[in-house]
Amino acid sequence: MLNAMKTILKTEKLSKYFHQPQTFQVLKELTFEVKEGEFLALIGKSGSGKSTLLYVLSTMDTDYEGALEIKGEKLTGKSQNELAAFRNEHIGFVFQFHYLLPEFSALQNVMLPALKLGRCTKEEIEAKAYNNLDLLGLKPQALKKASQLSGGQQQRVAIARALINDPAVIMGDEPTGNLDSKNTDVVFGIFKELAKERGQTIIAVTHDDDFAANCDRIIEMSDGALIR
Amino acid sequence: MISHTNQQIAWVHLTSRLRQTFVAILGVTFGISMYVFMNSFMTGVNDLQSDLVFTTISHVRIYNDVPRQKENILKKNFQEAKAIHIRNEKQILYQEGIKNANEITDFLEKQPEVIATTPQVNVSVSFRSGSNNINGILSGVEAEGEDRLFNMTNNMREGKWSQLKYQANGLIIGNVMAEEMNLKVGDNLTVQTFDGISRNYTIIGIFQTYTKTIDRTKAYLNIASVRQLISKNRGYATDIQVNIKNFDATSLFSNKLTALLPFQVEKWQAANEQLDAANTIRGILALAVSLTILIVAGFGIYNIMNMTVNEKIKEIAILKAMGFGGNDIVQIFLLQAIAIGFIGGLTGLLLGFGLANVIDQIPFKLASFNTLPMAYRAKDYLLGFAFGMLITGFAGYLPARKASKVDPVSIIRG
Ligand SMILES: Nc1ncnc2c1ncn2[C@@H]1O[C@H](COP(=O)(O)OP(=O)(O)OP(=O)(O)O)[C@@H](O)[C@H]1O
Ligand SMILES: [Mg+2]
Repeated sequence: MLNAMKTILKTEKLSKYFHQPQTFQVLKELTFEVKEGEFLALIGKSGSGKSTLLYVLSTMDTDYEGALEIKGEKLTGKSQNELAAFRNEHIGFVFQFHYLLPEFSALQNVMLPALKLGRCTKEEIEAKAYNNLDLLGLKPQALKKASQLSGGQQQRVAIARALINDPAVIMGDEPTGNLDSKNTDVVFGIFKELAKERGQTIIAVTHDDDFAANCDRIIEMSDGALIR
Repeated sequence: MISHTNQQIAWVHLTSRLRQTFVAILGVTFGISMYVFMNSFMTGVNDLQSDLVFTTISHVRIYNDVPRQKENILKKNFQEAKAIHIRNEKQILYQEGIKNANEITDFLEKQPEVIATTPQVNVSVSFRSGSNNINGILSGVEAEGEDRLFNMTNNMREGKWSQLKYQANGLIIGNVMAEEMNLKVGDNLTVQTFDGISRNYTIIGIFQTYTKTIDRTKAYLNIASVRQLISKNRGYATDIQVNIKNFDATSLFSNKLTALLPFQVEKWQAANEQLDAANTIRGILALAVSLTILIVAGFGIYNIMNMTVNEKIKEIAILKAMGFGGNDIVQIFLLQAIAIGFIGGLTGLLLGFGLANVIDQIPFKLASFNTLPMAYRAKDYLLGFAFGMLITGFAGYLPARKASKVDPVSIIRG
């Protein structure tokens, strides 16, 4: 069963440098693979480079050395517009600090990536967005402006948004960082189900040991290098 | 193609900061209304000037003068200095005026540019009444033709212009002459030509053109009576006056006539260079002022859009992270600028029209006009709107392009 799994994400000697205030290597020749349907936890001390790695994997950060491949497609060297279209369709992202568009309602925030993709009708998208919000216990908040939601609610809206296009890879930078244990369990359950039932891949940065322990696999970083 | 989603986002941005949007729209409104108003006013002034001028002169005047500069035949034939004795020198009389005026007017009326023509016999005379004496011009005219070109019926203060046709000895004089010589309708006036011929006519009307020299020195008489006075045949005329459809194109037409007719052809610009220049300068002035205002409005939009982009830089980063491309971001912000330009443009046209209308009502006594001159030309409105859209589009594009270049990671990392 495990052998039949396809590789969904692959890196080859991924390195990244920051030059301010002085040059230092934040990612050190990272080479690893992630399988389809895998639920992966990325752990490590604060400042070890987890967020930086996730930005590179998400295709938003193109200032790196080495190679990145997702869904068998080589992404290194592609134009910004091509990458934008790729992330729109294949990558869902939950930021460390739950970024929503404050002037839009929770529902609109969730719908936007799907409207951009234009694969479904507006009605289908709306129904699906409601469904996602409902899964995360946010149905009563659907029509509230994002700026009127609490931190934990915003984070859950961001998760609902990351799921809307059924992306192949969902990346979360401490996606449950602001949630109580009950909601953490809900989110964990959703991720687990998505990985298992639909074969979507989850890569989640976490400081929560219990959360990590229940994942399929753990990758640990220290000073920009993989130690596990 | 403009995506519906981008439209929606642009709309939310616009409506979530109504005050700023309102200020930006107001800037465009003001700019465009000024553009429309300034141009309406300047065009009005130009039209008024032209109207005033063309009550007294036609677009093209055709006449036949003896060449003024007499050639020095001697010099032409004998280059070297020589002593020459000429006996019995004779002055040859050149034919002055146009003998077959009817043929010429018929020919002119066939030209596609021509609206109306009329022949005139203009004679320098002195007008005498008692001890008063004014030197001036006696103009022999065909009542109908003259009316068609110069709208004489409108210029009449007393009497009827059409009477000129029926009363062979009926004279119509200017109001200033009437005042100076203390004449009224029904009085007699003596006209003396420089050849010494004198005749009495009866005043049957008084006109006013508001051009003082004309109102003082000109009198109209039936063309046949003037021919009789100076013993000329039927068909004789000193001038043929021609009006054409587009008086801005007079040069072209007069050049054409010069080639076709053996007479002198004078376009109105030759007699009124200052009018032509003033029209052009006023046009430039109106354009400069209104464009300046529009550009200032453009800077306002540029500023506001720039501020918006800076304010929304986080949102831009999020949109990009979700997969919106650079083109989408340009669209989102350009749409906002265009919406501002469009709404501001329409309200600007309305305001400009209202302003022109109000100023148009203000009493202002000038010549035969009672209010400030104002023209309502579709061209001014269309151009104003087009300029407004162009400038807002440009002012919106620069910040929009800047927004599209935002690097999402640097913003999101915080
Ligand atoms: N823009 C930047 N310029 C220079 N150095 C940076 C920049 N962003 C991050 N760093 C540095 O890179 C290192 C890795 O940062 P990163 O945000 O990836 O850490 P992290 O593992 O996500 O930490 P945490 O668990 O606290 O979120 C840190 O030492 C940080 O100071
Ligand atoms: Mg981090």
